[in-house]
Amino acid sequence: MIDFTFTEEQEMFRKAAREFAETQVASYVDEMEKTGEVSDAVVKALGEAEMMAITIPEEYGGLGLGYTERLIAVEEISRVSVATGMMLQVFALGIEPIVKFGSEELKKKYLPGLARGERLSTTAVTEATGGSDPTGIRSSYKKEGDDFILNGRKCFITNSHIADTITVLAKDEENPKAFCAFVLDKDMDGWKATHKEHKVGMRGCNTGELAFENCRIPATQMLGEEGKGLRVTMAAIGDVGRGGMVGVALGLQTACLEESIKFANERILYGKPIAALQTIQNKLADLKIDLEAGQLLGYRAAAIQDKGQRSSNEFAVAKYYTTEACQRAAKMAVDIHGGYGCMEEYAVSRFLRDSYVVGPSAGTSDIMKVIIGRWVLS
Amino acid sequence: MGTDHRAVWVIAEQINCHLQSVSLQLIGQARKLADQLGTLVEAILLGDKIEQPARQLIAAGADRVYLGNAPELEVYQPELYTQIAVNLASEQQPEIILIGSTDMGRELAPLVAAHLKTGLTAHCIDFVLDKELILEQRIPAYGGLLSIVCPEKRPQMATAAKGVFATPEPDDSRTGEIVLIDIPTDLPGRVKTLEIIREEPQGVPLETASTIVAGGAGAGDIDGWKDICELAAVLNAALGSTRPAVDEGWAELETMIGQSGKMVSPEVYIGVGLSGEQQHMVGIVGARVMVAINNDDKSPIFEQVDYGIVDDCRKFLPALIEQIKQYEEKKNTCE
Amino acid sequence: MLNIVVCVKAVPDPKEACNIKIDPDTKTLLRCDVPLVLNPLDKHAMEAALQLKAQFEARISVLSMGPPEAGNIVKECLALGADQGYLLSDPAFGGADAYATAFTLAKGIRKIGSFDVIFCGMASSDGSTEWVGPEIATFLGLPVVTLVKKIVECKGASWIVKASVENGYRLAQVKLPAVFTVTRELNTPRTLSFSGIIKARKKDIDHWSLDELGVSSESVGLKGSPTIVSELNAQEENKRQVEILTGTREEKTDMLVQKLVEAGVI
Repeated sequence: MIDFTFTEEQEMFRKAAREFAETQVASYVDEMEKTGEVSDAVVKALGEAEMMAITIPEEYGGLGLGYTERLIAVEEISRVSVATGMMLQVFALGIEPIVKFGSEELKKKYLPGLARGERLSTTAVTEATGGSDPTGIRSSYKKEGDDFILNGRKCFITNSHIADTITVLAKDEENPKAFCAFVLDKDMDGWKATHKEHKVGMRGCNTGELAFENCRIPATQMLGEEGKGLRVTMAAIGDVGRGGMVGVALGLQTACLEESIKFANERILYGKPIAALQTIQNKLADLKIDLEAGQLLGYRAAAIQDKGQRSSNEFAVAKYYTTEACQRAAKMAVDIHGGYGCMEEYAVSRFLRDSYVVGPSAGTSDIMKVIIGRWVLS
Repeated sequence: MGTDHRAVWVIAEQINCHLQSVSLQLIGQARKLADQLGTLVEAILLGDKIEQPARQLIAAGADRVYLGNAPELEVYQPELYTQIAVNLASEQQPEIILIGSTDMGRELAPLVAAHLKTGLTAHCIDFVLDKELILEQRIPAYGGLLSIVCPEKRPQMATAAKGVFATPEPDDSRTGEIVLIDIPTDLPGRVKTLEIIREEPQGVPLETASTIVAGGAGAGDIDGWKDICELAAVLNAALGSTRPAVDEGWAELETMIGQSGKMVSPEVYIGVGLSGEQQHMVGIVGARVMVAINNDDKSPIFEQVDYGIVDDCRKFLPALIEQIKQYEEKKNTCE
Repeated sequence: MLNIVVCVKAVPDPKEACNIKIDPDTKTLLRCDVPLVLNPLDKHAMEAALQLKAQFEARISVLSMGPPEAGNIVKECLALGADQGYLLSDPAFGGADAYATAFTLAKGIRKIGSFDVIFCGMASSDGSTEWVGPEIATFLGLPVVTLVKKIVECKGASWIVKASVENGYRLAQVKLPAVFTVTRELNTPRTLSFSGIIKARKKDIDHWSLDELGVSSESVGLKGSPTIVSELNAQEENKRQVEILTGTREEKTDMLVQKLVEAGVI
């Protein structure tokens, strides 16, 4: 049979992540909600707590842990702050391509700083014309001697304004089937973050646009082989991106359930806490069922990923299920809170707004179904 | 007097030549027990220039006071105090030793007990002799009352907090013996008290307050705790706390009410965000009116008060404070 | 090299401890699956040791007596930064009072062998006796300072510490080796870190049973405890007439203000 228990060490990682989130992140949530800006203090704390280092190999200053541990961390942090969980999950999207496809030189150059949180990362694939279907992107490169010249724009990029180490996907100007992935860093000229988005939720997590104008990139900054850049970014988004969203969604589901239980025990109606009402118990049961199911799907996919096997389809299922479930959970949590759920001082109103941003991140539910459909037909 | 049983002892404590009230209260308990056992009440008192407090112990019910009266005993010195008590107890073999749960008592009692190879029960709220005249030392625990006994080892040792027991009326006509004791000189000198600094407490002292607002873990966080502090302020009440609130770091240890904290007897007690755990509740001795505000209608606090309000204290308190302020304002304008 | 021993205890999670009740019929404890956690005050004892280790060359041994599950909290201390763990676990150790606990821990410390400083939390959240630290000191023939809230001087073999006394402090001078019981005011404990957990993989926990400790079963556990629980009584019936004030929040504040006026508070 299959053993569904976490190891003692994994339980301790969860405890550590939870303690971190509750002591170092929770107190900044209000500020992030108010300003909509990334909290420098939270970023610094994430770095000090080695949250960016989880999946970076030990020889490059990381912790060399697996995807299950990463899922635990993202889940626990998102339970307290979805915005922070999202920020963390996307740091990994910038890190993963370097770990998987970077040259020794690139790894040595970037990974230790990324592990310490001194460098912040993201990955930039999405454009107005393509994201989940990256072949639709228009950003292009051309070769000039040993360098590449990059032009184009990227949109909806998480961590766009805080990242200083970015994995960018672009198309060969002359060959629409050839793609390259490059690592850009702040020291290079010719690229900048432009527009900042104002999202309905995940306030405190930065999303925006990047512009590249004759950005000169030395060939040494290329990830993987020339022309095979799609593989590089797909590896990051498919498994790691979806996996991260599963963590974000599970954290939010847990938060919805916990706040609902708390409120249902406190709110008195007909002389009793509303938790005594079957209609409320029914909702709490639904929340629990979705959470249990989501955890099984998510951690199973992570276990497959940790074995070094392809897990993007399993993560597509888990991503679909949990991000849909977190939207259901947030609505139910708001419903349980009644009128209070509409008030900003109640966390569930934030959960509702956050849940709607979790949905399309790293691919909408419809895209997940397209992927799952292809999987079953293949 | 009967000699079946050896004496009942109290290790008394003085600060700046003033007896701690708990020492007198324990003399009262020792008297009760000694009378039942048909034996003597004896006290140890250590300090400098303390003949007067020694006589107070006799007036309260002691038959004999072993008095260590010397400059080097002025403040608590762990080695000296322990050695004196251990030497005397080994020699005299008392049946029972009671010690106040003061900061000194809480260190001295286990040192003496371990040296005498006997048991020690913490923070008792009642002492009763059973059929075999063994001391039942009662402590609150797990929503009930535990009786602890030390059946084989002697002396039977226990501590109790200030305010648990009544202070006996002094009877200045009582006579007793004051035995001056020798001060040991052959100590290793590995630990010594350099100085003890005490400051006047701030705010309304808990022990004498007529109104107490006590808060617990239900405050949720430091902001919730501030509301509880504000309620205490608007009611001109002393602020009390439970152990979880102290553990969270919201409240000072000095504000803790209960078995291992302070015993209080206010006119009015208002418990906010606390479940009514017995370790806390035993600290409220005979409050006239008790009020509880807590969100969990099943918590035991709602079985122990006069008025209960089931609500989230974080939402209820701001409303209540506002209401009280309005009331005071109205009253002032009417006057 | 400063050898530090930190004594820790696995206690029922204080956040859920109110769920532990006495069964009024059987007079036994109903534990309701309350999980075991590191005693909150022992975290301050650990932190004290870790802060010393940051200043001096030091080795931290963490010692606990308890059921095999208590191994988790020893592991947690290793993840926090202790170097070696010891768990004294044997059915014979069960039912120990403070005296037998201190006796057994003192034997464990003797077996560890090198100790300059022994830290304990001032009390455990479930027992609240405060006796274990000073009794360990007595069994080891060491000096002790309880309720330490500040370490003022710790450079040489003679330390100066501030101990908590009501409304003030006691300044005490102690020669090492010595036992210190610590209060919450001493420090702010660090939280677990991922790299700490990873480093703990390479750290061992020695499990010592009665035989390995080389003591007689008569001197430990229930048998070695001078005190025993003779009776466990459920709470007495409350004599107050409880009135729950109900209504909207406004109605409730109105009623309560009225009651407080009647009581003479306002």
